[in-house]
Amino acid sequence: MSSRAARTRSAATGWRRASIKASAGKYWAVFRTQLVNSLAYPMDLLGRSLLIVLFMWIFMNLWRVTYGSTGARSIAGLTLADTMWYLMMAEAVMLSKRELSDTITEQVKDGSVAYLLNKPFNFILYHFAAGLGDTILAFAGNLAIGSAVVWLMAGPPPGLAGWLLAAVAVVFAWLLDFCFSALIGLSAFVVEETNAFRWIYQKLLLVLGGLLIPLDFFPAWLQTVAFNLPFAWIIYGPARLFVDPSLTRLGAVLTQQAIWLAVFGCAVWLIYRWAVARLAVNGG
Amino acid sequence: MPAVSVRNLRKTFQTKRKAAGLRGALAALFRPAFQTLDAVRGISFDMEEGELLGFIGPNGAGKSTTIKILTGILHPTSGEASVLGRVPWRQRQELAFQIGSVFGQRPQLWYHLPAIDTFYLFGKIYELDEADLRRRIALLAEAFEIEQLLETPVRKLSLGQRMRCEVAASLLHKPRILLLDEPSIGLDVVAKQRLRATIQRMNEIEGVGVLLTSHDAGDIEALCKRVIIINDGEIVYRDKVSTLRRRYLTVKHVDVRYNEQLSPDFSLPGVEMLKVGRFGAKMRFDARVTPVEPVIGALAAAGGLADVTVSEPTLEEVIGAIYARAEAENE
Repeated sequence: MSSRAARTRSAATGWRRASIKASAGKYWAVFRTQLVNSLAYPMDLLGRSLLIVLFMWIFMNLWRVTYGSTGARSIAGLTLADTMWYLMMAEAVMLSKRELSDTITEQVKDGSVAYLLNKPFNFILYHFAAGLGDTILAFAGNLAIGSAVVWLMAGPPPGLAGWLLAAVAVVFAWLLDFCFSALIGLSAFVVEETNAFRWIYQKLLLVLGGLLIPLDFFPAWLQTVAFNLPFAWIIYGPARLFVDPSLTRLGAVLTQQAIWLAVFGCAVWLIYRWAVARLAVNGG
Repeated sequence: MPAVSVRNLRKTFQTKRKAAGLRGALAALFRPAFQTLDAVRGISFDMEEGELLGFIGPNGAGKSTTIKILTGILHPTSGEASVLGRVPWRQRQELAFQIGSVFGQRPQLWYHLPAIDTFYLFGKIYELDEADLRRRIALLAEAFEIEQLLETPVRKLSLGQRMRCEVAASLLHKPRILLLDEPSIGLDVVAKQRLRATIQRMNEIEGVGVLLTSHDAGDIEALCKRVIIINDGEIVYRDKVSTLRRRYLTVKHVDVRYNEQLSPDFSLPGVEMLKVGRFGAKMRFDARVTPVEPVIGALAAAGGLADVTVSEPTLEEVIGAIYARAEAENE
């Protein structure tokens, strides 16, 4: 619907309803504003990206020894360079995620959640748009610095296909991670402290998500477990696609992501609606 | 139809109670004790379209809870409310287009960005078209005298400047009702006056209704025609501000100085002498009991007047008296 038509109707009823275009425009504006906000402190942004240098250096030393001692050129189909580029992508995804669960928990605890509820937008989508604005910049920084380091230590990166396919999978990985963050954050409505859940989630990503070790190196039974859980499709999926791009693999990753998104997306939606209805704002 | 209508509104919060110390913490773990807090206990009131209504009360009286129910953020425990014909907690999003709100203790402007960035963001959120938004920003910037501030990061503004930007932001979408929760908190006298003047002007120009909560009687006195005083979740007083003055500001304090010496037993009928000196006196009387005219006449007749000051209690003192009376009635 054009904005003119929307306005005419609003004039007739005195009340308006958001058209899809106007709704999309809102979240786009939130995303852009957060982007600009994150750019307000370029040194901070750079500082956050330096951590990946340390991680890559440690991983390089670790895996150089491992590959050296086995004498094999590749383990489970991954060369040393593949492993390093895999870990770089995995860390870039992990390090650029905003601690959204923390933000939501704080907002629930100190009552400021209320002040995002009296605007004509959806609280959950608002956070997603704002989170994305922050994440994209951090991801770009991590990717640039991480790539430079790994290139120096382990050789040239995967081809263009790897970058493109990984980019698609990373967007869905963020969405899926957002669902987990939102669930942890919203649990603050019931339990007062959510640090434990956050800690567990991070460790699940570390081990079963493939952040520490590519899942291909696990014994078969553990691989089966990991592949049937959502965590692998946040970290392992995009990172593995990056070093071994193929449309078959992309299809498999996206299918898994779509299934888990449907499950956890619905959960977030239901819990959000339930939580808002029983909201007790602190500091009333 | 009134713009805001509230009937028997109640809000009860359940809070966990913990006794002090480790023992208390352990006890709460196994058998949590809840205590019920009645934040709002069955209040009813109306607000007309375009009205400036003051909502006043001490901290924890239930002012903010009421405002949060009216914006649709909180569901009441029982009772009814309608804002512009809508039930706020069921039609929160629709209502959001028609009401603006400022919560003095919760900034909505993005802290690290210039206010103009938040203004453009709000323009999108409230679905204003680009040209309308520009005109609106220009108009509000002039009214609030913030033209020079719009491009400065909000964190670098003074509290008074920031508050004017906050209120301007809440008016961008031309709301019919503005809910201001403690807008003057922490402001100095000059900043307060400036903010009040602007709110008043916007009310005159656009007819936006303002429901203002404050614990500062000065805000209400300067802005509102009608006031509701709330204490402990109940309405203890509601009437015109002018009536409040007339009814409660009847005690006059008089400070008088003479050019010649007074006799030490100087006194007037119906007037309580607080202090009598050699050249002057301080006294108090209730104008409902003792008419003003004979008192002033007698003062003039007593000798050559050098100076006379008649003062009334501040609205603050009056409200204090109303709270005290309400509490005495409860006991």
